[in-house]
Parts: sequence; structure tokens; C-alpha cells
Amino acid sequence: MKDLRLERDVQTETNKIEARKVQVYYGTNHALKDVDVDILDKTVTAFIGPSGCGKSTFLRCLNRMNDTVASARVEGMITLEGENIYDPRVDPVQLRAKIGMVFQKPNPFPKSIYDNVAYGPKIHGLTRTKAELDEVVEACLRKAALWNEVKDRLQSPGTGLSGGQQQRLCIARAIATSPEVLLMDEPCSALDPIATAQVEELIDELRSQFSVVIVTHSMQQAARVSQRTAFFHLGYLVEYGETGAIFTNPKDPRTESYITGRIG
Amino acid sequence: MSLGLLFLTVLALSALGYAIGRRRAMSTVGGDMRKLHSLPTFYGWITALGVVVPVLFVSLVWLFLEGFVIHNSALSHIDQADVPIDSSVNLMMADVTRLSQGLSVLENDGFDLAKIKQDIDALKIALGDAGVAMGNDPTPNMIAAAEAVRTTAKNSRLGLTLTTLGLALAGLAWGLRRISPEFRARNATERVSIGLLIVASLIAVLTTLGIVVSLMAETVHFFGIYPASIFFFSSTWDPKFGGGSTLGILPLVWGTLYVSVISLVVAVPIGLFSAIYLAEYASRRVRSVVKPLIEVLAGIPTIVYGLFALITVGPLLRDWIAMPMGFGNSSSTVMTAGLVMGIMIIPFVSSLSDDIINAVPQSLRDGSLGLGATPSETIRQVVIPAALPGIVGAILLAASRAIGETMIVVLGAGAAAKLSLNPFEAMTTVTVKIVSQLTGDTEFASPETLVAFALGLTLFTFTLGLNVVALVIVRKYREQYE
Repeated sequence: MKDLRLERDVQTETNKIEARKVQVYYGTNHALKDVDVDILDKTVTAFIGPSGCGKSTFLRCLNRMNDTVASARVEGMITLEGENIYDPRVDPVQLRAKIGMVFQKPNPFPKSIYDNVAYGPKIHGLTRTKAELDEVVEACLRKAALWNEVKDRLQSPGTGLSGGQQQRLCIARAIATSPEVLLMDEPCSALDPIATAQVEELIDELRSQFSVVIVTHSMQQAARVSQRTAFFHLGYLVEYGETGAIFTNPKDPRTESYITGRIG
Repeated sequence: MSLGLLFLTVLALSALGYAIGRRRAMSTVGGDMRKLHSLPTFYGWITALGVVVPVLFVSLVWLFLEGFVIHNSALSHIDQADVPIDSSVNLMMADVTRLSQGLSVLENDGFDLAKIKQDIDALKIALGDAGVAMGNDPTPNMIAAAEAVRTTAKNSRLGLTLTTLGLALAGLAWGLRRISPEFRARNATERVSIGLLIVASLIAVLTTLGIVVSLMAETVHFFGIYPASIFFFSSTWDPKFGGGSTLGILPLVWGTLYVSVISLVVAVPIGLFSAIYLAEYASRRVRSVVKPLIEVLAGIPTIVYGLFALITVGPLLRDWIAMPMGFGNSSSTVMTAGLVMGIMIIPFVSSLSDDIINAVPQSLRDGSLGLGATPSETIRQVVIPAALPGIVGAILLAASRAIGETMIVVLGAGAAAKLSLNPFEAMTTVTVKIVSQLTGDTEFASPETLVAFALGLTLFTFTLGLNVVALVIVRKYREQYE
């Protein structure tokens, strides 16, 4: 387990995603109000907050997964490298190839381990030959720290792996489409501490290539893996800033109450 | 006492048992329910069940055995000489039964039975007036046998009444004596209800077994008088009334398979596609309207489909496809029956597949969409493979429906047993021939009639095989997703 890394350099300062005045409604329920966030490139950003505060909702706005929920309506502007992702000309399918997602519960497809990872490259036509695809699969499994455990059984079903392995398989599957941003919705909540540590280590390594956004209920986890932290409460973005600053010197009294365990 | 009244009495006793049992349980603890092991209703239930269950069991066995006893008591009065030459003991016994009923009718009408039994001619006339038809004239021995039937039946009923009432009262007394605060009435009631559930499931299993056994018996009989090699390997189906028929099953099996395959070719794509549309694309409102409408198809009686095939589809296919293209000029064709049957089994495929596709976890769809797959890629590569075992099960279920279908074939494809590749020719199926062989005028013990059972058993084996395959497939792939 790594110690709490509260003080950490943020390597780049370019904005990858900018969100301005984002509102989300589920039917008549106003779930997210006036959210402004800049997500930095090659940085791990953590969203924390009590259940129902809107952090997962906001995460799902970033790759337009809320489109699949019939009652959801999104207002405001979210840009990816300056381009509005809610522009009618943007194809959500292409957008999601650029912004990968890992879900709370491991959800490997009922296919072999190999096919799970090869799924994205195949549908996006990222590789031309079988050999190339093999390489991509191996590289992604290595990046997800799973290669050594599964290299002898690539053709066995992905659903036969343990929970932690399944989640790392899902991460490998997500990075196989070479996304620019990786969204993770409580990726460790279904895992035991050892698997959690492995996934956290992995997130830290992935930072060198992607911008990672992680929703988590564990404040220790946010402190361990992220450089930036956003605190959501009741649909509002209460405070956003450097992880160290949020945890040691929060400006808003609500943030302080939450991280000291008085609310939430 | 008549059976109905008897059972009403027993039910009343058991209701009484419920009320008293409940009250008694409460009174043993002075009205403090917490001191009882179980809720008071359980004491009521176990007392009521103690009255009904033994009575039901004993009276079922009694009624089952009663028939044998009555039969034997009558048989002891009949000599071999009484049986007319062109008849059998069974026919004779049927007459005896009718005669005994007739005697009861006459007795109610106020005839002096002792007198009229001496005068066979008068008896005959009286029976005729009372509307009782006899195969042969009654003989003195038959009258004696009929009287034996009447007495045995009367005694048996009396015995049944006394036994059941006795049992019911004994059960009531025993049940009430058992009641004490420590008595575990809830556990006992639950054991009895488990027993009832087991009996219910056993009935279904035993019925299946009974069907197989009765089919088996007649089939063995058939193969005793007809060579199995002809039945299984001859390509001619030519039953003759006077005997000397060729009863080869191959044309019938061919017709069955041909019609079923055509119907599946129609039903599987249409059913599956509509299921995919309903489950994945349709809005909730469309779904709530369209799904029941498709299911209406399953509720249409097959004879109506048959009429549709006969009146509409058959002539349409003949005039627009078969005749212009030179395939033939019959309106009863395999194609007609196959098409209409396909429409009939669409709801089996679509409704079940729809449920199965809906059961695929949303997390799998999210996972695929989150990787940038389009909805259609998601359906083709993730949802359908995950739902495949269930879909295969649905298709095989539809297939066994198609194989067993009769009415549509009779009206749509005709009754000519033929081995042909031309889908615009009349053919027929196993089920149709079972009906026509059994409804003919031939003697029951002839191979022409008994072949129906061999056909039935073949068909049963067929659909059983299909179901087993379906089960194996479903089981093999079931655990692919949680």
C-alpha cells in the first residue's frame, strides 16, 4: 500500500475538459446545478461527495453516457480540447471512443479474455492484422497489470476471473481503444483491499498517458491517487482544487465537515 | 350419502376443527399468545388438515379400488357360455354395467324389481322405455351379475361413508388432543404443505409417465403385428382398409420436418428481429402496445390459422407464385402450411427472446457503449451472444410447437403423404396421419389403427429429444453472465 501522497506535483497545466454551467435534470429532478470544472491533461482528478450528490451523474456527462437514460437532460457546455461535446455534429459513439469508461461493478463481456480486450480495437478498426491485434491486447493487459496472470488462458471466459482481475480486465478493455480520457466510476468499490491497491497503482501509472477522472467514496483513495479533487454536495460543486489543499486546508465549511466525517 | 354431500360434511368438520383448534390453543395459555409455540392460526390449520388429508387419501384409494371389486363381483356370476360368440367379456361387462344402471332407474320409477327380473321380455321393454340401450338381450346370469354390481356398489358407498366420517372425527379428536403450548403447530403445518406441493409436482410427472406407458403398450402391440423394418424404412405410406397396407413413416417425417423448417425460417428472423426492436429500441409506450399485440397471435386458435391458410394464403401462393413459375397448381402446399405456421409461432420466439434480451444486465450494454460501440454493435456482439442460450431455447420451444401442429397442416398442406422436394406440393405430417388413422372405421386391433400409437411415440421421442437438446444448450451457456 502506498502512503498518503498529499503533496504532489501536477505535471501539466493544459485543460483537457472544460465544463461550464452544467445542469442535469432527470425528469423534473434537478440533479446537477451550475457545475464548472477544468480537468487537466495527464492528471488524476477525483470526485468525492456523499451518495446522490451528482458526482457519478457528472462523470456520465463527460462521455455522454447520460444519453442512454431516456429521462436525462443536460444543459450547459462541456468541451473536450475546445470542442463542445454536446454539439449536434458530435457523434456520441466517436466521443466515447476517445473518453473511455470503467464502471463500478466489473462487467466483462461473456467472451474470452482476449476478445474482451480486442473488442474496442475491433469495432473501431484500430488494427489491420491479427498480429497487430495480438500486440495491442498484450500491451493493454500488461498496462493493466494482468498479463502475467492471464497470458496462459487468454481464450478462457473473462467472467471466470476473480473480481479484482475482472476489474483490471475492464480497465485493459477501456485503454485498448487508446482513449484520451479515462473515466472511472467507483472502480474499487466491489474489490478487496489487495485488488484495490493494484488498481490504484495502475491508475497512477496510467496518468502518464491519459487524463483520469475517478469517482470514489473513499477519501483515502482520493488522497492516495489524485492530484486534483472536486467535492460535490447536493448537486453543487462545492470546492475544487489541488488534492493536498482540499484535504489539509479546505476553504468551504461543507468540505471540511465531509472530510472530517461530520456529514455524508 | 352421496359423494358430494360426504365431502361437504368432511369439509365442514375440518372448518370446525380450524375454529376449535384455534380457540383451544388460545385457551391452553389463557389467552396469552406469546406462550404458544406457533401463531394460533397454525393450530387451527393443523387440526383442519388432520381432518381433511387422511380422508382425501383414503377415499381416493377406496374409489380407485372400488372399480376392481365391483368388476370382480359381477364377473363371478358370468360363465364363459354367457358370452355371445361374436362378442367379448369386456363388451359383456359393459352391458352388465348398463343393465345395473337400468335396474336402478326402474327401481326409482316404481317397478317391482323382483317380479320384472323373472320376465326377461317385460324387462327388455321396460328398459327400452326408460332409455337404457343394451347390446345383447339380458340373460339370467347377466341379471344376477347386474344385481351383484348394484349391491357391491351400495355396500362400498356405505363403507366409504362410514370410514371417512369415522376418520374425520378421529382426526378431529386426535388433532384437538395434540394441542398444547409446546406443540409445534407451525412446523407440522409446513410439513403438510410441503407434502401437498410434492404431490402436486408428482401428479405432473406421473401423468407424463402414464402417457408414455400407454403409448408404449399400444406401440409394442403394433410392432407385434406389423414389421418394424417397413414402418421405419419404407418410403411409402399407403394404408388400406382391407389390410395389406404399407405403413412407412418416412414420408410423414419428411413432411413434418419440411413444414417445420419452413415455419422456423419464417418465424425465427421475424420473431428475433421484433424482439430486438422491442427490447432495445422501442420506447416504453410502443413496447406496451406492440408486445401484447404480438402475443395475440399466440391466442388465435390453430383452426383459425388453418382457415386462413385454406382460404387466403393457399390460393394466393398458387395464383401468384406456384402457377406462374410452374411449380404446380395445388393450393394445399407445404409452403402454405409452413408460412401460416411460421406466423403462428412468431410470438413464441419474439416474446421469450424479448424477455431474455431484457434480462441481459444493463452493465454489459453500458460497458460496450462506454467503449464507443454503436447500439447495433452492442446488440450484435454483446447482447445477443449473452442472450443466445435463452434464444436457442425459445426457438426450440417454437420448433416443438411446429412439429406437433395438426390443424394448420390438414387445412394448409393437405393429407397426401409424399416424399418430394417441391415446396408447392401437398404433403402431410405425422400428427395429421395420427388423427386420420384413429378416426377411420377400421377395427381397433388392426395395424392401420395401431400405427397411430407408433407414430405418436415417434413424435414424442422427437420433441423430447428437441427439449433435451434445448435444456443442454441453455444449461451449458447459462453461467456466462451473472
